[in-house]
Amino acid sequence: MMQVVRRNTELGLVLLAGLLTVGGYTLATLGQNASLPANLVPFLLIILGLLAAAHITTRFLAPGADGSLLPLAGLLNGIGYVFIARLNEDLAALQALWTAVGIGGFILTLVLVRRVRDIERFRYTIALVGVGLLLMPLLPVIGRTINGARLWVQLGPVNFQPGELAKIALCIFFASYLVEKQMLLSHARHQIGPIPFPDLKHYGPLVLMWGVSLVVMIFQTDLGSSMLFFALFIALLWVATGRAAYLIVGGGLFALGAYVAWNLFAHVRSRVDIWLDPWAAPTDAGFQIIQALFAFAAGGFAGTNLAQGSPERIPAVTTDFTFAAIAEELGLLGSAAILIAFLLMVGAGLRIATRAEAPFEKLLATGLTAILGFQTFIIVAGVTRLIPLTGITLPFISYGGSSLLSNYVLLALLLRISDDQAAREQAQAEAMQVTSA
Amino acid sequence: MNRQIRGLGVTLIVLFAALFVQVNYLQIFAADRLNNHPANTRAIVRDFSRPRGVIQTAEGVVLARSVPTEGEFERLREYPEGELFAHITGYLSFSFGGQGVERTYNAQLVGRDQQSDITKLSDLLVRRELTGDVTLTVSKRVQQVAAEQLGQRKGAVVAVNPKTGAILAMVDYPTFDPNRLSAHSQSAVRAAWEELNADPDKPLLSRAYRERYPPGSAFKVVTAAAALATGSASIAQPVYPSLSALPLPNSGGQSLANFGGGTCGGNLVEALRVSCNTAFAQLGMDMGADKLAGTAGDFGFRDEPPVDLPFAASSVFPEASAFDRDVPGLAKSAIGQQDVSATPLQMALVAAAIANDGVIMKPHVMSEIRNDQGEVIEQHRPEQWKRAVSPSVAAQVKEMMVGVVERGTGTAARIPGVQVGGKTGTAQTGLDTNHVWFISFAPANDPQIAVAVMLENIPVANEATGGGLAAPIARAVMQAALAG
Repeated sequence: MMQVVRRNTELGLVLLAGLLTVGGYTLATLGQNASLPANLVPFLLIILGLLAAAHITTRFLAPGADGSLLPLAGLLNGIGYVFIARLNEDLAALQALWTAVGIGGFILTLVLVRRVRDIERFRYTIALVGVGLLLMPLLPVIGRTINGARLWVQLGPVNFQPGELAKIALCIFFASYLVEKQMLLSHARHQIGPIPFPDLKHYGPLVLMWGVSLVVMIFQTDLGSSMLFFALFIALLWVATGRAAYLIVGGGLFALGAYVAWNLFAHVRSRVDIWLDPWAAPTDAGFQIIQALFAFAAGGFAGTNLAQGSPERIPAVTTDFTFAAIAEELGLLGSAAILIAFLLMVGAGLRIATRAEAPFEKLLATGLTAILGFQTFIIVAGVTRLIPLTGITLPFISYGGSSLLSNYVLLALLLRISDDQAAREQAQAEAMQVTSA
Repeated sequence: MNRQIRGLGVTLIVLFAALFVQVNYLQIFAADRLNNHPANTRAIVRDFSRPRGVIQTAEGVVLARSVPTEGEFERLREYPEGELFAHITGYLSFSFGGQGVERTYNAQLVGRDQQSDITKLSDLLVRRELTGDVTLTVSKRVQQVAAEQLGQRKGAVVAVNPKTGAILAMVDYPTFDPNRLSAHSQSAVRAAWEELNADPDKPLLSRAYRERYPPGSAFKVVTAAAALATGSASIAQPVYPSLSALPLPNSGGQSLANFGGGTCGGNLVEALRVSCNTAFAQLGMDMGADKLAGTAGDFGFRDEPPVDLPFAASSVFPEASAFDRDVPGLAKSAIGQQDVSATPLQMALVAAAIANDGVIMKPHVMSEIRNDQGEVIEQHRPEQWKRAVSPSVAAQVKEMMVGVVERGTGTAARIPGVQVGGKTGTAQTGLDTNHVWFISFAPANDPQIAVAVMLENIPVANEATGGGLAAPIARAVMQAALAG
């Protein structure tokens, strides 16, 4: 019964997200060409088709899963697509393809991962794959440097960022590893003030992860992912052990790493300098962030309306700065709505985590949600000049195949955990009925 | 673990709250400051790129249009007529702003004035070209004749319809090509700007409405009107003695001579016909500074003409008190010398006042503005600017000015079959140069056009008089306008 309600809710919301996307697309085309989009009907069918495929998959393969996550992801994906189409038609066709790939990944994940604990068994394989993916761009021949960051791998005609998928693999590994070592790592023999501190040797994993983050930052010059990985690990370590000491030591290591990086690496220093004072070089280093700030201001409360602003003035607006384009054309109403959508996803993710019974599922759901939340924060805070800008995609919204694929896989895993728990609860309820009958 | 998960949730909520605060700050609280930041070229680039209506003459000749281009600016402003209308259309420069009609009617051209009255729902959804097309009162035919007649002599020609204030032609020489200032290459624009500003002949300055010149005897029209309006003289009385020079009181023996040293006198009609300096100087002193300064003010001196072009200069006739201890100054001012100076536009309005029963209409270049659908959204309605003199005084002065053209100093302005009224002016500016003037209107019984012609710093040789050089230009312009 519960399952049907959830799925019907999901269907309704998915349809709503699809209609909002088609409406936005129509408005943007009207705004640009003063005519209805020529491909409106096929576009409508593709959007609804993709969303329907995802929905039908959950109906059959994860019937008890949370009903709000897929519509929210579809909405964000759709709005992102509308903006990419409005900014760059060539990218739009590719983004449609990536969306299909992403939903394919979503379906495939639900098909392959029928129970979450299945993947726990492959944790070392997955860890190896994760580290391999992460370091892949550093390999000769296939590694590519694009826009100053060595994040890309070229295989044949396809460029992709393996780091996007690596974050999920690493999250799975962290969760399983921490479940295994939970007791050990939370064992605290020392006390500094009110805070119990674990043994020195237990900081090994933390220091190791710190090292990996530094490698990512130094060799791939990817500040955003580096920050994301480390924040994810600290968060999971803390959630698993309940030891605030790890937060303190982790924070200290982060500060140390940041300080050392700031001293040693020009690209880190320049990011910080631009953040502190973009007006020092308004036409040069500070140009991008300043144009973004002007875009936010131009949007004001209600926005300039779709296709009526000039967000194309911001360099890299389709990837790092899509949020600024949305804020300009949809105003504070739009930017706040996007943030609320992400917050709702985070809320749904953490609710799944608290409900899950198995520690691995709990930790995995927490980690996946943390990725979504932290990544959104890091990029949005970067483009609004709350923190230094780091090149990282806005989940579901920014242009990019690797990003969309990994986010849909992440979503599928969250739904799988949610469905597992629902199934368990239902089984328990049925057992109760049987015993009481 | 749930406690920690909730802790993580709280952390994320705090982080997102910070994002909300920052987005609010940027989009609401700091928005004005950022929008008006000097480094923020969004608005100006958008203005420069957005569709902009055409400016066209009364007969529909396009003077300014925007054509789509590639590059940062999506459109280029073009002036197909080049120099001919430069001081009317002005220019639209990214670096140096706008001038002329481009400046006065900027909001209408880009349609900003229409944005508030979006009526249909579809207008909200579709980016309609909210531009306005500005049709001017200026006629290319008259403008071209005026420009040809002026040729390469420094000066200006202004022609207005006395009944409506509509400017029919306004020509300046030297002038400039507005295309050079609206170009996209800002280095080229800068170079052109510097070159034009360095030119000692000031081609960017409209002589027609922004520069003042002593009007000389053309001002006698005002003096005569003042005398009649204040009862200081009638057309018959007094009769001024025939003199070649008038001794000026309290001047240490100075005297004021007639032009070319001739002898003249007689009543007001006769004095105006031959432009008698001695008679008008005496009239000015007899009448007194209060009356002359008052009537000059009634004709628009000391006020900025309410023309729809930016920064029109006001013309100068000093306050009466300035002559308290300077009777010779009053005598010279009565014949348009000394402290009197006027723009050609103002002098055209003097002629127009006489032609239009003593009423000066507000001068204007805009006739109507249509939106992209061809609907009229703004139309100029003729409005009175000033009442210079009563209809009866105007009629008397009109008759006198007809005499000037038929039998006086302005015979070069005669048009067969049309009664023309006019007045010459020759103002000494140096030992050997004069500004020469002619103001006129036609036809006298139903005036359709009033003209002022001014030629700057003409060498004294070669008949450097208003009647000799300026009157033929005025005649050609009037003929062109009346033929239309």
